Amino acid sequence: MVSVLAVTVVVATFYFVYPGVSDAKNEEKVFVTHGGAVIGTTGDILDPVYSKQTVEFDPQKYLRNFNYGHVSTENGKTLREFTIIASDDQVMEISPGVFYNVWAFNGTVPGPTIRATEGDIVRVKFINNGSKSHTIHFHGIHTASMDGVFEPVGARGGQFTYEFEAGPVGIHPYHCHVMPLEEHISRGLYGAYIVDPKDGRPPADEMIMVLNGFDTDFDMENNFYAANTIPFYYQHHPIQIGRDQLIRVYVVNILEFDQINNFHLHGNLYNYYPTGTSNVPSTYTDMITLSQGERGIMEFLYTYPGKYLFHAHKTEFAEKGWTGLFLVV
Amino acid sequence: MEAPKTSKARLVASGIVPFVVLAAMIAYVLGPGSALVNFGTALPEITLERIDFVDKEIQVTVRNTGPIDVSIAQADVNDRIQPAAIEPDKHLGRFETASVRIPFEWNEAEPYEIGLTLDDGTRFAKSVEAAAHAMKPNFEMASYFALIGTYVGIIPVMIGLLWLPFIAKMGQGKYAFFLALTAGLLLFLGIDAIAEGLEISAQGLAESFNGPLLIATVVVASFVGLYCVSEKLVGRTGASISKSVAIALMVSVGIGLHNLGEGLAVGAAMGLGEVALSTFLIIGFAIHNTTEGFAIAAPMARHKPMIGKLAAMGFIAGAPAIAGVYIGGFTYSPVAAILFLSVGAGAIFQVAASILGWISQDKKGLVSAHTASGIAIGMIIMYVTSILV
Repeated sequence: MVSVLAVTVVVATFYFVYPGVSDAKNEEKVFVTHGGAVIGTTGDILDPVYSKQTVEFDPQKYLRNFNYGHVSTENGKTLREFTIIASDDQVMEISPGVFYNVWAFNGTVPGPTIRATEGDIVRVKFINNGSKSHTIHFHGIHTASMDGVFEPVGARGGQFTYEFEAGPVGIHPYHCHVMPLEEHISRGLYGAYIVDPKDGRPPADEMIMVLNGFDTDFDMENNFYAANTIPFYYQHHPIQIGRDQLIRVYVVNILEFDQINNFHLHGNLYNYYPTGTSNVPSTYTDMITLSQGERGIMEFLYTYPGKYLFHAHKTEFAEKGWTGLFLVV
Repeated sequence: MEAPKTSKARLVASGIVPFVVLAAMIAYVLGPGSALVNFGTALPEITLERIDFVDKEIQVTVRNTGPIDVSIAQADVNDRIQPAAIEPDKHLGRFETASVRIPFEWNEAEPYEIGLTLDDGTRFAKSVEAAAHAMKPNFEMASYFALIGTYVGIIPVMIGLLWLPFIAKMGQGKYAFFLALTAGLLLFLGIDAIAEGLEISAQGLAESFNGPLLIATVVVASFVGLYCVSEKLVGRTGASISKSVAIALMVSVGIGLHNLGEGLAVGAAMGLGEVALSTFLIIGFAIHNTTEGFAIAAPMARHKPMIGKLAAMGFIAGAPAIAGVYIGGFTYSPVAAILFLSVGAGAIFQVAASILGWISQDKKGLVSAHTASGIAIGMIIMYVTSILV
């Protein structure tokens, strides 16, 4: 009996104090810190910051991907037709190894970047495949019935067609406008909508950056920040640009929970056009502050080659993912 | 011969049958029947059990304390994402532990919050009040800890033993009083150990360990275990001299286990960088533990002094403090601390019960004013000295 007791006690003790650890691997892996320290480990590396990693969503592809729609002519005007499908059951890897239930337009966060020329007819066929009501509310000028607020589109196949004349010139967000609004936006139902002037803008290497974040533990604070969803992505996958090449970045701040966001460029300054509605830049700076829903166009060119950071100068956001690099070649 | 053999086989079989049926039921619930019982969502949980600050690196011991397997996705310091390594790997089964190494140039004596984020985006964090270099088990530290253990354990107990001549010259009533006083001291220590265990359980132990029930289980198990052992020990020796020695020995063992727990607290306080606290702890425990020497001396006071035996018992009671400081300082784990404290509490209650039993063999037994006031005063003395800690 005493031996039975002893065995029970010993087994119980070891069960709690020394639980089994999984098989150790002998293969040594290495990562490098910002300070240059080389850290070796026989285990796994948890480094979303510097180690080059990819997830299913490709911010590099999204960066220069502009969707001009299906183009035809109707009553002498250019008609651009788009189809946008909303879902709310998708699980997306929003940072290496972190899986989060996003609500998405066309399966990605951000949704597709829609682009039209001022005066075009934009026709968006919206299908809601989600389990909740959703809409698309475009910023810009349109009739009240096309505002995507008072016509919630029903779950599981509800449809609505948004139609309006593209305008004004500039960069605008679009997002779901169903209550609770903060939830419907922060979960990922947003994207960018660009209206080009009729006579175009000077040729440039153009890109879209949607500044966003994710509250993965639902405490009404963001756990991750990024330009184009994936934290630190452009840090380990620098955006390659040419020397003396005009760069035009369409920036949209769609961040929820935090009142402000900002955009700081290293080794350079940029002309900034708030909302992109005017040809005259409001400022020449390396630092702009963006409130929720604020957006604009930045234009700059680099003379010297090398790596240049761009990041939120709200450094908390920078250290949680909103950091990237331009590689000037 | 045939018949008993069959009946024994039957007995064994009847003992095994319930296990087989239970196993079948579990297999069914986990397998084909699993659809019936799957409801609700199991939430992952991890516990950051220990944080060590070493040269340019913060090391976290993390345990999966939730109902499901998890993967750890990233580490942060003060809620800012940091590159890190996790060994042996990032997948943790239930109760599995891993070590997370975060290269970080931390500052001495400043507070930090270390966080780990799981694959579902949930973040778990633990705060450290003041970062301090993790102690490395080397000869210098070991001898330093031995010295502290000696201050906390051995010396105060030895000082307490000096009361022996004082107790020896006492009349029967007063002697009963002092024995009761000892019982009071011990009751206090036992309750103290349980309270300490509950505190550690609330602060550092994941709910899945069922801390309070773990404490209750270990306290009761060590109580009945030691009760059984001591009854045999005392019962075997007929002469009353040996009996008093046996009781004193049990007191020493019980107090030794208790001091192991106290040593853990001192070592852990030093390990966590709460240096000022540990100085107070040392002084407090020293005063507190002097009363423990008294508890050992009391049962032996009726016989001619046996200096060698007394010294040995003082050592048995005091020396575990050294081991405690060592364990607490170098390899602190809340589970180990709770186990030690609970075993100590059980041992102490057992000793208190033995002494009370011994007193009750007297004519007046437990109902005398001497006994009642002894227990009460013993507890009051301990309470007053415990405030110093």
